[in-house]
Amino acid sequence: MAAPDAPAPTYRLIGTRIPYIEGPLKVTGRAEYTDDIKRSGQLIARLLRSPWPHARLRSINVEKARAMPGVAAVLTGEKYPTPFGVLPITHDETAIAVGKVRYIGDILAAVAASDEATADRALEAIEVDIEPLPDYPEPQGGTIAVAEPIHARGLNGTNIQKEVVQHFGDVDAAFAKAHATVRVRGTFAGVTHAFTEPMATIAEATPDGRLTVWSATQVPHYLHRALSEVLGIPMHRIRVIKPEVGGGFGGKSDPLPHEIICAALSLETGRPVKILFDREDVFVTNHGRHPTKNDVRIAVDADGRILAYDIEALIDGGAWSSFGTVTTYYNGVLSMGPYRVPNFRYHGRRVYTTKPPSGAMRAHGGTNIRYSVELALDDLAERLGIDPFDLRERNALPPHSTTVNQFRITSTSFVKCLHAARERSGWDQKYRKLPYGKGVGLGCGFYISGSNSPIHFTPKMPQCTVHLKADMDGGIAVHCMQADIGQGSNTLLAAIVAEVVGVDLDRVHIMRVDSDVSPVDIGSYSSRVTFMMGNAARQAAESLRDQLIRAASRLTGYPPAQLEVAHEKIRVRHRPDIAVDYLAALHAAMERTGALLATGAYNSPPMGGDFKGARAGTAPAYSFAAYVAQVDVDVETGVYRVEKVWAAFDCGRVLNRLAVEGQIEGSIHMGLGQMMGEAMSYRGARLMNPSLLDYKIPMPQQMPEVECLLVGDDDPEGPFGGKEAGEGPLIATLPAVGNALHDAVGVRYHDLPVTPDKVLRGIEVREQSGRAWKGVG
Amino acid sequence: MGEGMGESTPVRLRVNGVTTALVCPPERILLDLLREDLNLTGTKRGCDLGTCGCCTVWVDGKPVLSCLTLARLVSGRDITTIEGVTPASGLSDLQRAFVDHGATQCGFCTPGFVMTATALLRDHPHPTKPEIERAIAGNLCRCTGYIKIVEAVAATAEGRP
Amino acid sequence: MHLDPFELHRPSSVEETVSLAGRLAPAFDYIAGGTDLLPNYKMRLNVRPNLIALEDVSELRGISLDRVGAMVRLGELETDPAFGSAYRGVVEAAAEVATPLVRASGTVGGNLLVETRCFFFNQSFPWRKSLGFCLKADGDKCHVVPQKEKCYATFSGDLAPTLAVLDAEVEVAGPDGRRRVPVASLYDASGDGIQRHHLRPSELIVAVHFPPEARTLRGSYRKLRIRPSFDFPELGVAVAARQSADGGVERLALSVGGLETYPRRFDDLTRRLVGERPTIAKVRELADAVRQLVRPVHNTALAPDYRRKMAGVYVRRSVAEILGVAEETR
Ligand SMILES: Cc1cc2nc3c(=O)[nH]c(=O)nc-3n(C[C@H](O)[C@H](O)[C@H](O)COP(=O)(O)OP(=O)(O)OC[C@H]3O[C@@H](n4cnc5c(N)ncnc54)[C@H](O)[C@@H]3O)c2cc1C
Ligand code: SF4
Ligand code: FES
Ligand code: FES
Repeated sequence: MAAPDAPAPTYRLIGTRIPYIEGPLKVTGRAEYTDDIKRSGQLIARLLRSPWPHARLRSINVEKARAMPGVAAVLTGEKYPTPFGVLPITHDETAIAVGKVRYIGDILAAVAASDEATADRALEAIEVDIEPLPDYPEPQGGTIAVAEPIHARGLNGTNIQKEVVQHFGDVDAAFAKAHATVRVRGTFAGVTHAFTEPMATIAEATPDGRLTVWSATQVPHYLHRALSEVLGIPMHRIRVIKPEVGGGFGGKSDPLPHEIICAALSLETGRPVKILFDREDVFVTNHGRHPTKNDVRIAVDADGRILAYDIEALIDGGAWSSFGTVTTYYNGVLSMGPYRVPNFRYHGRRVYTTKPPSGAMRAHGGTNIRYSVELALDDLAERLGIDPFDLRERNALPPHSTTVNQFRITSTSFVKCLHAARERSGWDQKYRKLPYGKGVGLGCGFYISGSNSPIHFTPKMPQCTVHLKADMDGGIAVHCMQADIGQGSNTLLAAIVAEVVGVDLDRVHIMRVDSDVSPVDIGSYSSRVTFMMGNAARQAAESLRDQLIRAASRLTGYPPAQLEVAHEKIRVRHRPDIAVDYLAALHAAMERTGALLATGAYNSPPMGGDFKGARAGTAPAYSFAAYVAQVDVDVETGVYRVEKVWAAFDCGRVLNRLAVEGQIEGSIHMGLGQMMGEAMSYRGARLMNPSLLDYKIPMPQQMPEVECLLVGDDDPEGPFGGKEAGEGPLIATLPAVGNALHDAVGVRYHDLPVTPDKVLRGIEVREQSGRAWKGVG
Repeated sequence: MGEGMGESTPVRLRVNGVTTALVCPPERILLDLLREDLNLTGTKRGCDLGTCGCCTVWVDGKPVLSCLTLARLVSGRDITTIEGVTPASGLSDLQRAFVDHGATQCGFCTPGFVMTATALLRDHPHPTKPEIERAIAGNLCRCTGYIKIVEAVAATAEGRP
Repeated sequence: MHLDPFELHRPSSVEETVSLAGRLAPAFDYIAGGTDLLPNYKMRLNVRPNLIALEDVSELRGISLDRVGAMVRLGELETDPAFGSAYRGVVEAAAEVATPLVRASGTVGGNLLVETRCFFFNQSFPWRKSLGFCLKADGDKCHVVPQKEKCYATFSGDLAPTLAVLDAEVEVAGPDGRRRVPVASLYDASGDGIQRHHLRPSELIVAVHFPPEARTLRGSYRKLRIRPSFDFPELGVAVAARQSADGGVERLALSVGGLETYPRRFDDLTRRLVGERPTIAKVRELADAVRQLVRPVHNTALAPDYRRKMAGVYVRRSVAEILGVAEETR
């Protein structure tokens, strides 16, 4: 059901509720995930993980393990020591530890055996001799030179992996003339993706010199590259296949050591090898959201107009770089939009620690900093006596503008988001008017719709290519390496092709991702797929459509310019009764050439400033959000419930309403998890809760009612005007709840997750200070 | 009566109405048997420890966790998997509703939810929203926030599309 | 994950079961629903070479108002209308255990003897090995209270407190015959998280019996946890009471689980309210006293000082509610 203010539907499919095309396979258990694949003669691999947070390896004796019956191969680090990593500038991982282990869970050795039990017994027979090294579980200690840096690449003998210093405008001058300033210091526990499908990989080296790898990955192309680099096999001899993937959220975007190990073991044994993670493997592999401390200062004038941001972030990277360089930039540059910030200073450091690595997780880099900024703005609004909505609106970035750090802003419907959320939530009747324990809060969001630069190759090569093939059967096969991990990109791809060519959805077949045949798309991260794949698909489909139109032109005698596609046919625009069936047009077009081929590609336009790090955060478009959350707090126990979220979101034109709602609801669920209870809980460097029992993903009863308010205007460059909706919808959730808690009990909580004990403690501290729950103070 | 340590002995299992005789050791877990021995891979392994619900199957019509069930202890009982609740052609009403309401995203949790919710609707054809939420609260979903799952179950119960 | 090999026994009567147990003790475990045992076995926690399955022992079945068999599934108990209207507290607790899927298999007997929990114990073998094994499995020290030579693992069953306040008894069978043990004294009150209970290694719980008086009591259960399903109790407060027509307290019992190594009754405290017309001040006094007595340690998700504070709040709320004492609104 379309919202009354949605743009008038001008497309047959685009903009409707399109059920996932692979849905019938998923609801019947017929969708094939990696662990559902079984290769004949396959071995099972298991990994020996480090029990030490930081240690130098003196020797590893695998002889006993190797001699055990049923054991086919044992692998240690020196065989494949080539470093790799998702970013070419920070290759600091090896498939298996070489020389040193850096966290509890780092991989010491791998065994391939006839079955899991045999492999596990073999692991226990491996003897490791080490020299313990000082561990560095916290980033604070690592910002100065340390006795034993975790990586040699740390800056000047420290554990700092990346330091970013940026200054635009004159922050000190802006603070000097400010009418009011605020400072917020936030602490954020690490959180992790916790997708339901554990990682799994199968590798099969074959006698023809080729290697096939099936893996639960959201970025098959980077895996392809890493396999080639580390194993020393040219890419064209490696074939990467992505089966159905049971969720990723960023956790399956780095090429991961086990994928390389699995392939190495197959090369070693000449047999197919499968590796399936148990939950603890998944948790220690992590790559989730970074534990972070941030320190945000904001200066405003008397009207609440933002004069400057001054931000620091200390980011706990864990053992490896992963996406960390990007994370370090994002914590700064993604803090500004949706607002105009004329002066900006940022100092961010990501520090290696001896913890499981952090990396990219849904709304990567934009979540923690956003929480602190939004709470700071609410505090300012209250002190200035300005309504939080008004304060945001006064600061909204205008459409078609440039930010102080040279982001190119094109479409923004942020103000429409504010209006929709304010109106639908009944804000003006509720804010500061509800009884003690109940409250509403506003949180806003901003996120990239794709990253402007591909990580691994020159921006001259497209970030996404789509191939179509239409043959006599009337079906259209679509090849593209985009990775559907549940977000619905296959469905969108099919819908775009069907829309443009005018055919029924069931004529379009999305072929499984297979590097031998799928043209490169760089995968599901940075919310890029809809925008980039969508444009490439549209271009490819238009090229196919044009071939059909030319054929129809020959058949009807009307020039192509006077023809248009309609449902399953091509007709004359001013004489709709004159039409050629799709199949007839297709068959006519195939005369002489055979099956039709069409291709489309997407390159993002040049953009961004000319300074170090200028590209970080540049995107062909941005999403915007304004959420209101309503909470109910038991003020004696601190237990609270989020009753409702009004989620106003600007993803440009809504392309698949069902999918966008699903992304928003799922994002709110994940955001609430981080807000209310999820935490990677550490004692020192040791992860205490590597299980789905102790890692607290919210339950259905904890979900609020969600009202999606999709008010975006068409983006000028987005496919059909669409932008991202996969990550941005998470961000506003947390501050909306945080600000609602303040409205309810008069406390701003800056230490996430905000569990009941912390809520209660905050109330007690406020009461002890004699401060009332309402009113400025 | 005693079955020897790790000793594989014959066991007869009735899975989706078909009785199969196979040989397995006492420590064989039902989930492993279904996925590895019978190739019924629709039942998913999300945690192996009772903490996700992806492995839900029915024993005598009751949804249980196959990862916490010893295969031998359910010999002679009726075991139904997702393959067994799927009609020979097309989808069940509930499965159709899951597709149409967007109750499946990555799909990994979905077979488990379908098993749980199908049993719920069989035993309680008209559950309230809180009853649905309670009934599915042993199945984790990380993608949907459960909202569309609850909707799909409610829509099926009400016989609406 | 896989299980290490074991021998599986399937006796069909109580006598057969206990004689088998007598022969195998202590190298065996009973397996009822397996929902507690199998995760622990998968993590290689105190694995034994023999499992005696209670599945086929028909005497362990059956629900009535006098007796609930040990093999009754929690799911059956929570949906039994007659039982539910007689023993509200028990059913409230049963319905809050784990998840519906776990409750479909999990049994009453298994719930009474659910392993005590600790975040240094409920971990995989490699995890525990990496830190150094603890007293409760394979090791010789405690990571929670390192100074002490004892285990502080938390009693985490939901049913026991609700049965204890009804003065229910467990019927126990062993190689030497049968006996009855009040639920309230089934557990080891010396505070040892390893020993947990007073059953001998070969003893079997046959059933829970309810005294006639139990039906005259009103009971309730309040559970603290982060999520409304899956999570074990971080605190579980069971109360049962009967009042005279004029509101005077004739009987009041309180048992608190999820905090210490055993579910603990507070008879000395509750007795003070018996024979009185309850007031909120007295209820508060009781709650404060409980809060001061309990000693949770830091081995579950929520901090011990918070759980302790909540013990006060939950006890007050539960007792006030059951006695119909109005709480002043804040
Ligand atoms: C994800 C998850 C969450 C959980 N959450 C909770 C929770 O919130 N609250 C809670 O209380 N429990 C919880 N549990 C634990 C468990 O599921 C329940 O306690 C259940 O009732 C145990 O019953 P069972 O029949 O499965 O026990 P089993 O696992 O079969 O046995 C448990 C123990 O009791 C012994 N035993 C069983 N029956 C007898 C008998 N008749 N006589 C003598 N000894 C016997 C066994 O030898 C074993 O030591 C949870 C489990 C999981 C997997
Ligand atoms: S309380 Fe101590 S001894 Fe007991 S399980 Fe925990 S760490 Fe081990
Ligand atoms: S696999 Fe059985 S509950 Fe997770
Ligand atoms: S659809 Fe992905 S976990 Fe539920």
